[in-house]
Parts: sequence; C-alpha cells; structure tokens
Amino acid sequence: MDEDIFDKKKQHRERHAGRKAEKKKGKNEHQQDLTAQQRNPKAFAINSVKKAQRQFHRAQDLKTKKQHIPLVDRTPVEPPPIVVAIVGPPKVGKSTLLRCLIKNFTRQNLSEINGPVTIVCGKKRRVTFIECNNDINSMIDIAKVADLCLLLVDASFGFEMEVFEFLNICQVHGFPRIMGVLTHLDYFKDNKQLKKRKKLLKHRFWTEVYQGAKLFYLSGMVHGEYQRTEVKNLGRFISVMKFRPLQWRTTHPYVFVDRLEDITPPQDLHLDQKCDRTVCFYGFVRGVNFKNHCGVHIPGCGDLRVRDMAFLPDPCPLPEKLKKRSLVDKEKLIYAPMSGVGGIVYDKDAVYIDLGGSHSHKDQKLDKGEDENEMVTSMGDLQAGVDEKIAQSQVQIFTDSAPITSVDAESFKLPSVNVVVDSTGRQRRKAVFSTADEQVMIDEEEEDDSEDLDEEDLDETEAEDSKNTASMVQNESLIFDESEEEDERRSIKKAVRKSDKKISPTKKLRSKLADVLDENESEVEENFDSDAEYDLRDVSDRDDDGSEEEPMRKKAKVVSRRTVQTGNDELRKKLKEVIESVESKLGNQVKKKNRKVSANGLEDLENSVGEYDSDIMTGKLDKEDDESDEEEELSADEEKASDEEEEASDEEEEESGLQWKTNIAQKAAEAFYERQAVGANLRKLIYGSTEQTRNETQGEEEEEIGGLFKIASRATLKANLVTMDEFDCTKWSNAPIQDFTAESVLESVRDCFVTGNWKESENAEELLRMDDDSDFDMEGDFEDLETGEIHKVSDKDQKAISDQEDSDPINKKTSTGPVDEEAERQKLIEKKMKLKERFDAEYDETEGGGQKSFYEELKQEVDAQANMNKSEFEGLDDEIRVQYEGFRPGMYVRIEISHVPCELVSNFDPTYPLIVGALLPGEENIGYVQVRLKKHRWHKRILKTRDPLTVSMGWRRFQTLPLYSIQDHNMRNRSLKYTPEHLHCMATFWGPITPQGTGMLAIQSMNSSEPGFRISATGSVVDQDKSTQIMKKLKLVGTPFKIYRKTAFIEGMFSSSLEVAKFEGASIKTVSGIRGQIKKAVRKPEGSFRATFEDKIVLSDIVFVRTWFRVDVPRFYTAVTSLLLPASEKNKWQGVKTVGQLKRERSVRAEVNTDHLYLPVLREEKVFAPLVVPRSLQRQLPYDYKPKAEVAAPLPGSKRDIEGKRVAVVLEPKERKVLGLMKILKTRYTERQDKLHKEAVQRIKEHRKKVEASEEQKLKRQRELKQKVSRVLSKMEAKKERDFGKIRKKKR
Amino acid sequence: MSSSNIYQGSESFRVRLVLSILSGRPIRIVKIRTQDDNPGLHEYEAGFIRLLDKITNGTKVEVNETGTAIYFQPGLLVGGPIEHDCSCQRGIGYYLESVMQLAPFCKKPLKIVLRGVTNDQVDTSVDALKCVFFPILRRFVVDDEGLDMKINRRGAPPLGGGEVFFSCPVRKQLRPFQFLDPGLIKRIRGTAYAVQVSPAMANRMVESAKGLLLKVIPDVFITTDHRKGVGKKGSPGYGIVLIAETTKGAFLVAESSSNPINSGKPPSVPEDIGLEAANRLLQEIYRGGCVDSNCQSSTLLFMALYQKDVSKIMTGPLSPYTIKFLRTLRDFFGTQFKVETKQRSHEEEDLRTGCDKVILTCIGVGYTNLSKTVA
Repeated sequence: MDEDIFDKKKQHRERHAGRKAEKKKGKNEHQQDLTAQQRNPKAFAINSVKKAQRQFHRAQDLKTKKQHIPLVDRTPVEPPPIVVAIVGPPKVGKSTLLRCLIKNFTRQNLSEINGPVTIVCGKKRRVTFIECNNDINSMIDIAKVADLCLLLVDASFGFEMEVFEFLNICQVHGFPRIMGVLTHLDYFKDNKQLKKRKKLLKHRFWTEVYQGAKLFYLSGMVHGEYQRTEVKNLGRFISVMKFRPLQWRTTHPYVFVDRLEDITPPQDLHLDQKCDRTVCFYGFVRGVNFKNHCGVHIPGCGDLRVRDMAFLPDPCPLPEKLKKRSLVDKEKLIYAPMSGVGGIVYDKDAVYIDLGGSHSHKDQKLDKGEDENEMVTSMGDLQAGVDEKIAQSQVQIFTDSAPITSVDAESFKLPSVNVVVDSTGRQRRKAVFSTADEQVMIDEEEEDDSEDLDEEDLDETEAEDSKNTASMVQNESLIFDESEEEDERRSIKKAVRKSDKKISPTKKLRSKLADVLDENESEVEENFDSDAEYDLRDVSDRDDDGSEEEPMRKKAKVVSRRTVQTGNDELRKKLKEVIESVESKLGNQVKKKNRKVSANGLEDLENSVGEYDSDIMTGKLDKEDDESDEEEELSADEEKASDEEEEASDEEEEESGLQWKTNIAQKAAEAFYERQAVGANLRKLIYGSTEQTRNETQGEEEEEIGGLFKIASRATLKANLVTMDEFDCTKWSNAPIQDFTAESVLESVRDCFVTGNWKESENAEELLRMDDDSDFDMEGDFEDLETGEIHKVSDKDQKAISDQEDSDPINKKTSTGPVDEEAERQKLIEKKMKLKERFDAEYDETEGGGQKSFYEELKQEVDAQANMNKSEFEGLDDEIRVQYEGFRPGMYVRIEISHVPCELVSNFDPTYPLIVGALLPGEENIGYVQVRLKKHRWHKRILKTRDPLTVSMGWRRFQTLPLYSIQDHNMRNRSLKYTPEHLHCMATFWGPITPQGTGMLAIQSMNSSEPGFRISATGSVVDQDKSTQIMKKLKLVGTPFKIYRKTAFIEGMFSSSLEVAKFEGASIKTVSGIRGQIKKAVRKPEGSFRATFEDKIVLSDIVFVRTWFRVDVPRFYTAVTSLLLPASEKNKWQGVKTVGQLKRERSVRAEVNTDHLYLPVLREEKVFAPLVVPRSLQRQLPYDYKPKAEVAAPLPGSKRDIEGKRVAVVLEPKERKVLGLMKILKTRYTERQDKLHKEAVQRIKEHRKKVEASEEQKLKRQRELKQKVSRVLSKMEAKKERDFGKIRKKKR
Repeated sequence: MSSSNIYQGSESFRVRLVLSILSGRPIRIVKIRTQDDNPGLHEYEAGFIRLLDKITNGTKVEVNETGTAIYFQPGLLVGGPIEHDCSCQRGIGYYLESVMQLAPFCKKPLKIVLRGVTNDQVDTSVDALKCVFFPILRRFVVDDEGLDMKINRRGAPPLGGGEVFFSCPVRKQLRPFQFLDPGLIKRIRGTAYAVQVSPAMANRMVESAKGLLLKVIPDVFITTDHRKGVGKKGSPGYGIVLIAETTKGAFLVAESSSNPINSGKPPSVPEDIGLEAANRLLQEIYRGGCVDSNCQSSTLLFMALYQKDVSKIMTGPLSPYTIKFLRTLRDFFGTQFKVETKQRSHEEEDLRTGCDKVILTCIGVGYTNLSKTVA
C-alpha cells in the first residue's frame, strides 16, 4: 500500500498559458505540406549543366526510341481470310495437322484435301489453310502470301535444311508470323531426354525467329490424329493471332487463287488443243485495292494482263449477327473448291451446286476408244458454264470479217435453275442466268416472246448441222450485234412514244430527240418487226434444238419458264419506271431508279437508257424553254464542249429572241458551266463518252462486219479526225469570256474576294456578334474540349446545376431544379472551374504546352488520311466503287485472264500454290536492276560472275545472269569475278524493275536432292536503270623500240593509230616506275606512238597504261515456269546451266593455259664463273692472297697415288704377333732415340753455355787489355800535346 | 513485255508521252494529221520528243517516214543538268509543263535550261507557271529545297531568244493532297513585260488592267518588267500576267500578250491587252477552285501518282484539256476520279462566288519513283 503511495508520481500538467505554453504552441504550429523539392531545393538544383544536358538528352532519346514512323492504316473493314501455311519437310505430319485443324474448326472430316481450304473460324476471323509441299518454288510462293506459317519440325529428327531455307526465304520476303510446331514427340520414351530435346530445339528456333517465338508441341497421335486438346490450343492461337502490315503486301494487291476455270471457247480447243487459254481465277483480294485491267504476275507462269475482273458474293461469309458468343455449327463454313467441298459455287453469272466430292479438274485423259464422241466428252469436261462459253463464242460470216460474239448483246441475267442429269444419273443443279438484252426491248404486249439468248447462241455454236438454221441465226445475231445502241434507241423511242401519248412535250424537244434517234429509224423499225418474228420462230427452234441436244449430250435440260418470266416482269417494271420518270421530267428520280436497276446488275441498261434519259433531262431541266433545245443538242453531243459553245452562240444569234440577246456570251458561259455542274453528267462527260469513242475505234471491225449495214457515216469520220488532231494546249483559250466591265457581271464574282461577303461561319463581325450574345447569357460557361461538350452555367432562373456526368447541353437547358442557396451554386461553380483548370493543365501537358510536336502532328495527319480512305467511298454502290478504288481487299473476285499458256491448265496441280500478284505501274518493264547482295554464309561456294542464278524478287521468280561488282571510293563500280566471302557486294542483272528496297533471294539450283543449303545469296534492290556502268581494270602493255633522251617510241600497246588517238594524253608508266604520257601516234609500225617520260627509260623496260573498260551485263531474263511443268516434274525446273555444270555433264575439260597453273617453284643453284685475277695484279698481291696453284692430282704410281690406294690388310695371328713385336721394338727404339736426342740437346746446351762463358772471359780480358793500351796511348798523347804547347810558348 | 496503247491523232500528244514514261508502257500513235495539209509530226512535237529523250535513259522512238505514226518505248527518268533549245513555234510553257510533271520522279535532281519563246498567245507563259504551278508543286514535294525557277531572258514570238532555268528535287513519292477550300482572294499581283519596245507599253497595260481590278479589290500591284538589249535575235512583244492569291494559298492566273510581229494580225493596243488580261483573270476567278484551269491536269496527275490513299481537290469547271487528260490517265493507270459538283451549304447560298465548283477525288495508283537510287 505504502509502496503504491510512493510509486504514484505526480501527473504532468500541461501549461495552457504562459511563456512555456506559447513556446510549445509555436513549435507545433501546422506547417504547410511541402514537396521534396520544396523542402530540399538544393537536391534538385542543377549542379552540373553537363549532367543536366545529358539527362535531358537521354530522356528525349528514350522518348524518340518508342516512336515509329506513322503509316497509313490500310487494313480493310472486312479483311480477307488470313492465309495460314503449313510448312515443313516431308513426312513430318503436315497433312495430318491440316486435317486435324479443319476438323477442329468445322467438325468435318475432309477425305481429300487439295489446295487451299477456307474456314470461318470465329466471329471475325476467317482462315485459309494451305499445305506447302516440299518444293523450294512452293516455299517461296507461300512465303510471299502467308500471314502465318506453322513450321512443322520432326522433333525426333531435329531441324532439317528445309526449315532453315524456309526461314531465310521468309526473312527476305517480309517475314510473316511464324509458329513452330514440334511433332513426333512420342518417339522419346525417356522423359528427361524429351525435355532436353525440347529445350534444345526451342533455343535453336528462338535464335532463328526471335526470342520467345511460340513453339507448339504435338505430343502424339491418337487414332491417326493429334490430341484434340493440343490441336484446339493451336487453333485458338491461330484465331487470335495479330499481324503487322508488311511493306510489299501493303503496296501490292494479290489474290491467292483457290479455284480456276478454263473458259476457252471449245472451238478453239477443238482446233488446237494447245492454244493459249482464257482462264478465270477465283480468290479473295488481299493486300490493297486491286485495279481492273492491271498487269499481273503469276509466279511459276509469267506476266499477264487482266482482261476483266468481277466481284462475286462471298463464298465463305462471316456470320452476320454477332450477338452470340460463339459460332453456331451452321456458321462454321468451309470452302475448299479444289478439294470438292463447300457446296455452292458462285460464278459471275451462274451458281454451281456441288453434290459430290469431284467438282472439276479431272485430268483430261481421253480414252482412245471414245474418239467418236470426242466432242461430247469434251463438253462433259467443260469447266466453264455453257453460257459463258456462248458469251465467248464467235461466228465469222466472211473470211475477212471480224468474228462476232454474243457478249455484246448480253447485259444482265437473272438465275433460273437448270437441272442437269449426266450419264451416271447424278443430278446437278445449275443455275443459269438468262440474258436480258432482248428483254429490254420486248414490249409489254409481247409477253411470250421472252427468249433465251443463251439457247440461241448455243444453237449458233452447233449451227454447222444445218445451213438453214445457221444462216438464220447469223442474221439474228447480226441484228443483235448491231448492238446496244439500237436497243437503246428503241427503248428511248418507246419512252418517247409513251410520253407522246400521255403528255405532249414541247415540239422542239421531240424533234431533237427524233434527230438523235432518227438516223436508223426505219432500220430499227424493220429490225424490230423482224425481231418479233425471229423471236417467235426461235422459241420453237429452241425447243426443237433442245430436244436434239439432249440425246447428244446425254443430259437432261429443263428450263424453268417461271423464273424467266418473273425476270421479265421485273424488267418490265423497271422499264416502266424509267419511262415514267421520263414522263415526269424528274432527272433525279430516274437516276435513283437507274441505280436500283444497276444494283441488280443491269449495268448496261443504265448506261444506255440512263444516258439518253439524262440527255433529255438536261434539256428539261433548263429554265428557259427557248434555250432548252440547244442545250439538248449540246448535251446530246456531250463531247466537245467548246465547239458546241460556238455553235450554240451561233444558233442563238440566228434565232430572234430579243431579251436574252444582250448578254449572249455571259449566258452561254453560265449555261456551259451549269451543264458541267450537273453532277451525274460530269462523270459521263469525262468517262462515259470515252466508251463511245472506244467503240468507235473498234468500230472499224464492226463496220466491216456490217458490210451490209454501214454505220459510220463519212461526216462522223471526218469529225473524228478533227478531234483526233486537236491542238494540244493546256490553256482554256476557246472558253467563253464574260465581259466583266459590266457591273452586273462583275457582281457575280464579288464574294470571291476578301472585300466581298464572307461565309457566316467565317465572318468576323458575325462571330463577334455571336460571341457577344453568348457572353451575355452564358457567363462562366466553358467548353470541355476533350468531350466536345459545352458546360453551361444555367441562367438565373435555372439555378440547379447538374453534375459533371450529365452535362448534356440539352439536359442543361431543360433541367430546372429547385432554387436552393446561392452558396451551393457558388461551390459548384468553383468545383467546375477547378476541374476545368485541371483538364486544361493536363491537356496542355500532353500536347506539349499547346504546341503539338511534329510527331503528333504527323500521326494525326496519317490518321486523318486513313479515316478518309475508309469513309470516302463508303456509301457508294460496289459496282461504282470498284471503278474508283479498284477491288477492295476482302472481296471475292473472279479474274479473267487471256493468253494463259495451256500447260497451266493442263498441268494444274492444286497442291501447288497459285498466286495472282498485281504489278504496279512501271513494274512490268525490264531493265538493269542493281541489288546489294551478300552470299549466304551457309552456302558452300562463292558465286561466280555471269553464272546463271535463280532470283526471287517481288512476285517473280526468274533466272538471270548477274554481274558482281563493288563500289570503289570514287564511286566507280569495279567488276568482280566472284562474290566476296563475307562481304556485301553489288550484283547487276537484267530483270524486272522492282521498287527499291525490295528483298531478293538467289538460288543456284533448286534440286532438292542436292545436299547443303540451297539459298546462295540474299539482298535488296538498290537501283535500276536502262544502262550500266560497271568497269573492269585493263592494263595495256607495250615495249619501247627507240629511245631518245626523255622521249621514247613504244610499240605493241595498240593495234592502230586510231586507238592511239583515243588514248592521247593518257599517263603511262614503266615497270621501274618512270611516269610518262602518250603523245602521238607514229606511222610505222602500226599502233606505235611517241611518248615522253620524266626520265630516260631503257630498252628493256615494259611500258603499260592503266585503263577502265566497261563490262556489259548480259541481257538474259527468263521467268521460272515451274507451274507449267507436268506434275511429276514440277520441282525439276531446269533453266540455263552454268558452264561448269555443262562441262561436268559432258566431261569437257577446259584447255588449261599452263601459264596459269600453280606449280612448285624450282630455283636452280646459280653457277658463277671462276674468279680470274690478272697476272699483273697477282704479282702485287702478298703471298697469302696470291692464288695458289692447285695441288695437282698425284701421278700414277707415285707414292701419293699408292697411299691413296692403300687397302686394309687383315693379318694372320702369327703375323700379328710379329707385327706387335715389331711395333714394340719400334716404339722402344723411337723411345730411346727420343731420349738420346733429348740428352744430346741437353748436352749441347750445356756445352754451349761453357763455350759462351769462356768466350765471355776472353772478351773481358781483351777489353781490359784494350783499356790499358788505350790509356797508355792517351797518356802519351797528352804528353805529346803538352810538349807541343810548351814548344809553341817557347816559340812565342 | 508490257502491252502498248494505241492512239490516233496528235491530240494530247504531250500527255500521252508523259504518261507513257511515268507508267512505263510503250505507246503507238498513228494517223497523226493524216488529213492535214501539213501531215505528220510538227517541229515542236519532234522537239518535245527530243527533250524527253534527254531527260530519260533508254527511250526508243520510231517515227515512220511521213511522221504520221510513232512508236514510243519509254526509258527511265534520269534528269541531271540538261539544256534544250525549244522550237519557237510554241512557247517554253508547252515544254515546261511536261518537264514539271516529270521532274520529281527523276534519278538525279533535274536542272534544266530551256531556250525559246517565254511568252506567247498560245501557251501558258513561264511567268504563269512560276506563279501558279510552283505553289502546287511545292505542296507535293514536301520539302522545296532545290525547287527553283528563273527567267533569265524573255523572248517573244516568232524569234524567241528567251531562257528559263528550272530545277526540281527528286522524291521517292509525293505527299497526299487535300485542298478543298481555296479561301478568298486577298490580293492581286502581276507583271507587265515589254521586250524590245517602249517601256511605256508596260505602264499602259498596267493602267488599264488596274482600272478594272481595283473595282473589286484595292490590293493590286503590278510590276513592270522591261528588258532591253536582249540581243539582235529576239523579236519585240509585250504582255501582262495577273495573279490572284487567296487567303489559303491558292493562285489563279490570267495573261494576255501582244500579237507577234509578221503574223499578219494588226498590232495590238496595250490598253486592250491589259483589259483583256484583267477580264480573263476575273473569268478565272469566276471559275474559281483551288487550282488554276491551266494546272488542273498536272495537279490531278500528281494526285493520281500517290500511294493508294485518297486525295481530294476542289476546282472550277473542268477544262476540255483536263477532261481529255482524265481519259488518258484512265487508259494508262486505270484511275478514275470521282467527280461531283460541290453542293452549296445554306450559308453559302447567297454568296456571289461565280459558277459551281467541282470536287475531284481519287485513290492513288501506288506510284513510287522507280529510278531514284536508295542509299
């Protein structure tokens, strides 16, 4: 207890007042939240300018790295099916996979798969599957069109060369998406080994494609199929795959053909089985818009031109409703015409219902036994609809007249069903479209006269039977052929007649119309009557012929009348409408109806009737009745605006209208422009009339046919000539000019100037006024720029303001909430302003402070362009639309091409991909193409210049002779003999002109039996030209024959003085490096010249001149026609062989120039002549240096000679003993002798010493003696001297 | 290789040859003035072929003996520095128009000197081309560096003696073109020239032209260009070129020039010529559009020679030449223009802006310059 008391401490009591409290308060005062930058500004300050610059630079770099050049998005609204190619070496499971995939998508089992199979595999996805066979030609073609490649690899075997070849092909042609599929995994029993294998293959695959490329594993087969879950997974991947646009394919339209039909007229075939064919190709347009009549290339066949194109209903459409989550079985369509599934086949004018698996394309093997029935059988084998053939069929009346076709007469057809039972009893229901041209002219009264042109012309084709019928038919066809014009006239006339009855148009109009139609009226009338006759006759004829035909063809043919009739009814209705519209003079209506008509395929009707109608209409539409007639005339002519204009004014002058004469020119001008302004006319004015002129140019033939009926009069011909040679001048010189000095005329352009009235939306005054108005009642309003909504503050009586979400301006205006408080309103306004501010800030930030960056602007521009491309022609009818933009990708089209080599059809094999690739303008030409090329590193040998090479470039595959070169620093292209080993070089060849940057691939031999990597080089196009500048170094060698100081005459370099003249002034050089110049040719010897050098040269010098010589690139180009070969030889296309190949084949060896051989270098030892020192010199030399006399050979028999010839002697033992003893003795003897000798020497020495000593003594004594004597002598002398001196002294 | 088009007569001779070069398709033209007193090709046409031969490489031309038929196999456009003496029968404009159409698609930037008649009554004068076609060309070639034109000397018919220098950069492809609103005319400029005549002539023309034009807009400025001492070669002549410029950068041009001497026509009065030019300009304004009637065809050509994208333009009524051009264009490239009359919106209804305008739309043919060398 006590402890408790002690422990309890006094509680702290906070100060609430006083100094301390204030201090504390000051400490805890709320500080504003600061950002890190605010708190610690130093940390964010720029300390180093360099660093800051780098940082900024890096940030910008990263930003720009993310940007790509924006491209216009040209993907169509409804894209064509994606092409999925299944590629791989043989026996790897391609067909099985294809079958499994098809089964997975469609729940159908295809017994036989030939060619592409199109499948609807999702709500928005269609897929065309194609199996690529093991032919490098196929692989190349497939790589050009496939969107996705499933690359099958036999895991038990590993990668095969084909896989790598294919990958390289893909790389060159734009790399489609590639998924690897490993098969044969059940081969591995050991799990660990399997894992290892998978990993190995995966990594190799990744290095080839890209890191993380998708690789599928198909682990094994169950009942001959891959496991369902795995296939399903693969299918799912295929159906969600996304693709990026490839350069070549976004510029070139193409069709991956899934069906073709030969529609050559059977007569032609009959005459010549190998005649050029007319073939229809069917498929989806891919890439970009396909223009009609453009040049195309069929890889494996050659360059061709599209004769005609038409779009057909989609044979494999996507489901229309997209409500359900997945496809119903009914919607899982499959379309594989060459495999014989897909049920209904739509053609331009016929629907074929396929009941069996054999649709067409049987080999045309005729049994010899069936010869008598050849025609019949060939008819059975026909691949085109009879009607088509009729359309193509021609009849020639006279030998030199042009053949007549019935195509001209045909215009549109409505289907009727033709049940055909063939000999086997199989029923084929064929929908045949009847022609309608006649029906146009059939009057309402003549109901029964509906006849079938088809049938008639069919008669025509078989008309040889009876001359009678033939001639009749010919007549008839002539009449029909006399063409639409007349039909048109007829219909117009009828229209006019009608209108005559019901209302009476102005007489002038009628007379003008009559003028227009007049010329052949009587003829027309006749024809009309005779037509009716023929019609009647023909119906009966047709029936007869029909019955005749039946046994002949062994086919039952029933024409259901009803459909034909209904067709007639419809037609009649249309016609009525047209006539009515003429009556009611409402041009627009007519146009609309015409459009309806054309929507039903009645194009010709539109063209003919519509044209004349509109002519009439323009007349009608004119305000002034008086003017209407000339207007009509003008519009009827519709061709030469200016000439008409003059005419018009002339006529006007002639007429005596007084009011309008005042302003003739102006009115004429206005009328002229107005005429142009009528929209529909404008198109016809430009394009419509050309069709007429075109017909006219073709007219010559028609004239000839019509030898009987002369159509073109002399006058029109002359008029033609005038227009033909019209003056070529851009200036619109003959246009009428109004006189703008008149105030009234000037008024008409007043608002073209800034000084005139502006549009309301642009008028500043107006805008200001509007602004004021809005300001007045919309205070505090703002526009949300992002959503485009206008946020308004309601008026004072509209107090409530709805929230941001329901900011619809209409709501705004109407919403009248309860009037609450001013404060609430203020608050809301504040809130909105804040939001606006925030938005503005954001907006500014994203747009770079109001200024858009260049990139953003570019992107917007491109987007706008893409939108415009999509929306521009959206509402138009497809018929018209294709004329403007060509056939959109995704459309199913039929391309008719004539002059196709017959082998393409006769040797057709659906397993080979057939592509129709369109060529852009200019790409059909041939020139010298320069590519930057590198030999493939896996290809074993380097490539030799001028050796034939098969190149795949653009759509084409062709063989050519490239010339390799490399660019020197002075931009000279120096020719090379071989490609460098690991270096790019240029290759120039004669080939098709292809856009720069297109990839190319070169193959030397396509033979798959050759081991090794077949792709020999890859590259891309750099340049193209019509001439080349590839140079080769050339050294010309000559020798001097006369040398003066610095001048020399040189021969042997040139062969004529002309050549020398060409090289005058060229610099030359000797081998020793003395430089010089060619001066002038000398007369003899021919080709020699005078040259000067910087120093004197010697006669033995070689002089050479370095020149460059232009090398010609051989002009050889031939397309690889692999598709034309028979099935068994398709992969054995053989082009030009290399010289090497030929030599090997024929075992021809080249003559070897031995100078060119490399032989081991043999160096002979140099033998020098003996040194001879002259005798006089010898004498002066010291002995050592004096040449010694040679030791002469020993004389025979001399001691040296004998010693030299000593022979080894083998001794007997006794002899040896003796010899030994003798040796010992001798040794002892010599020893003794030595000793004695030594002793003697010693003795002599000593003796000599003794002698010397005694001699010394002797000498000593003698010296002493001498000294004594001489001392005495000298003493005596001195004495004498002294004595003498004394004497002399004495004397003195 | 590629099939050739066959044409008859000498009409749109230039267009056919130019399109032949651009599309690479050989053409054959037969029956050239067969019924004429002076049959066959004229000198200026032969000169035009020679000029094309200079610009291209590998062009083959075969003309028959009488000159009534030619076969033209086009080569690739090379460009580079070129000089050409044009025939004095036609103005330089005749040649320059076609040269300008080809210039952006050469291998090397074209630098061409043309000599002959700069201004005459028949052809679009070089001044007009410079004022009107240049802005359009500039829109197509993106970056106008190297795009230049100089009138070194003026020459009037019949002797000529004028000289024009034109240079143009090369492009791989052109830019898409949408030009729907020409705006309003904000000023009128012009040049009155007088060659070997009194400078008063130019002033007199200016006076009379201004007299009319000032009624509609105050901003009219016409320079006078008097050249003397051209040399003994030239002939005397004078004329006036008027240009209307709009707020959106569209240009309309009109011109008029004196009768050439020795032509048999009476000498022209400068006042008449000034007035005629003004009248023609107003007529051109009446027609309206974003391009001049002279340049319609060239503009449409460039529109067609683009990637497969939509180009759009508003013009005045199409001139007969343009109509023929469109037909020829379809023959070569298969391009059809969507032609529609511009519907006036209700706010424009009571504006006095001349005659109805035409909107032309086309999708390019996917043309790229095949002769340019890539690095």
